[in-house]
Amino acid sequence: MKFLLYLLLALVVIPFQTTLLHYFSIFGVRPDLGLVAACLVGFLGGELDGLILGLLLGCFQDMLSAGDLWINVVTKGGGGFLAGLAGRHMAHITPAVLTAGLAIISGLSSAVFLYSMNPASLDEIWMGVRSTVLVQAGFDALVGAGLYLLFRQRWSDDRMVTEGAL
Amino acid sequence: MAISRSTYGTRRLAIVLFACLLVALFLLPSQSQRLLQYVGGPLGQILSVPLAAFSSVDRGISDTWNAYLALQNVHEENRQLHRDIELLKGQNNQLRESVAATQRYETLLNFKQQSPSQTLAAQVIGRDATNWYGGVILNKGESDGVRAEMGVVTPAGVVGRIVKTNSTSSVVLLVTDPNNAIAGVVQRTRDEGIVEGTSHGRARLKYIPLLSRVQAGDRVVTSGLTGTFPRGLAIGGLTQVEKSEGDLFQSAEIEPEVDLSKLDEVLIITAPYEDADSAQKLLQEIRGDRKKS
Repeated sequence: MKFLLYLLLALVVIPFQTTLLHYFSIFGVRPDLGLVAACLVGFLGGELDGLILGLLLGCFQDMLSAGDLWINVVTKGGGGFLAGLAGRHMAHITPAVLTAGLAIISGLSSAVFLYSMNPASLDEIWMGVRSTVLVQAGFDALVGAGLYLLFRQRWSDDRMVTEGAL
Repeated sequence: MAISRSTYGTRRLAIVLFACLLVALFLLPSQSQRLLQYVGGPLGQILSVPLAAFSSVDRGISDTWNAYLALQNVHEENRQLHRDIELLKGQNNQLRESVAATQRYETLLNFKQQSPSQTLAAQVIGRDATNWYGGVILNKGESDGVRAEMGVVTPAGVVGRIVKTNSTSSVVLLVTDPNNAIAGVVQRTRDEGIVEGTSHGRARLKYIPLLSRVQAGDRVVTSGLTGTFPRGLAIGGLTQVEKSEGDLFQSAEIEPEVDLSKLDEVLIITAPYEDADSAQKLLQEIRGDRKKS
C-alpha cells in the first residue's frame, strides 16, 4: 500500500518538476522536488521509506533527464536514506534542523552531479558551486521547510502513531 | 526487544539494498545501465500519462499568459481607437494568435518539404528533470521510430540531439550543453571544428586550424560528416574568436541560431538523407569541395 502511495507521489512530482516548475525558478535554478520529497519521507518515515521513494523518484527523473541513468537513482536514493538515518537519531525534528539537513543533503547531491560533469578547471567547479549548488541547496531547504510547516500537524501525528505502534 | 530488533533489521536491509545498488552501478556500469533501461520501459509508459496531463496544463498557462500579453498590446492600440470596436479587436487578436500558430506550422512544413532529410515533427513537453543538463523532453519516443543520437532541428537551425528515449517520449541534449559535441564548419572559410556547449548557455567552436581566418560574424553550419545531421544546417554565428599563444588550435564562441528558451515544435531527423543515393552524391560533393580548397 505504502509502495503504491510512493509510486503515485513519484508520478505526480516528476512530471510537475519537468513541466511546470520552471515558473518557480530562481536564477534559472528550480528546486529539486524529487530530492525534497525523498528527504522529507526519509526524515519522517525512516531510512527504508526514504530509500524506496528516493530510488523510485530517481528512476523516473533519470528517464526524463539527459544525464546518465544512474545519477538520480543514487543521489535521490542516498538522500532519502541519509535523511532517514538522521531522522532516526533525532528526538525532535524542528523546521530549523530540517532546513539545515535538507541543505546539506542537497549540497552533497549537487556535488555528485558536479563531479559527474567532469569540470575541466577550478574555475568551472567554482562557477558550478556558485551558480547552481548553493542556490539549489538553499531553494531545496526552503521548499522542504515550507512543506514541513504546511503539513507539520499531520506528519507529527503520523510520527507519534508510528512510534506508538512500534 | 522485538521492536528494536525489527527496526535494526529494516535499517540493515536498507543499507544492504543500497550498498548492492552502488556496487552494481560502479562495478558493472553497462549491465546495470541496461537493467535500468529495461526497467525504465514500462515505467516510461506509466509516466507518460501524468507527463502529458501536466504538459497540457503548462501549455494552457503559457497560452493564457501569451494571450494576456497580446491583449495588453491590443488594449494600448484600442485606447487610440473607438470604444465600440474593442470587442472586435479582441476577437481579431485571438485570430491573429491562430494565424501566427498556423504560420509557425507552415514554416515547419516548408522546411520539412525542402529538407533532404526524413524528419518527424514533435512537441516540446517539458524540460530536463535536473538543473544540471540543458535538455528538453519531446512527445515522440521509440514507438514513433525515434532513436538515440538522432538530430533535432527547427527551421532556424540545430537544436541538439536525442540522448535518451522511452516508448512515448525522448530527451534532447541541447547544443548549448557542455556534454554535447556536433561537427561544424565555418560557412565562409570552410574550416571544420567541433561545436561544444559552454557552462554559460552558449556554444563554442573548437579545434579551428591555427592559420584559419575566421572572424566574428562568420556563420557556422553542420558539416554533415557525422551521421546525426545533414550538411549545411545553421548552428549559429561566431561572436568572439580566441587565439592563445602556444595553442595548436583557435576556438570561437557561438551565439546559437535557435532561441533555445522558447522551443515549441521541433523536427527530429530520423534519417539525415532521404536515400542512399543522395547521401552518396553529397559525400562526393564534399570530397569535391575539399579537393578544390
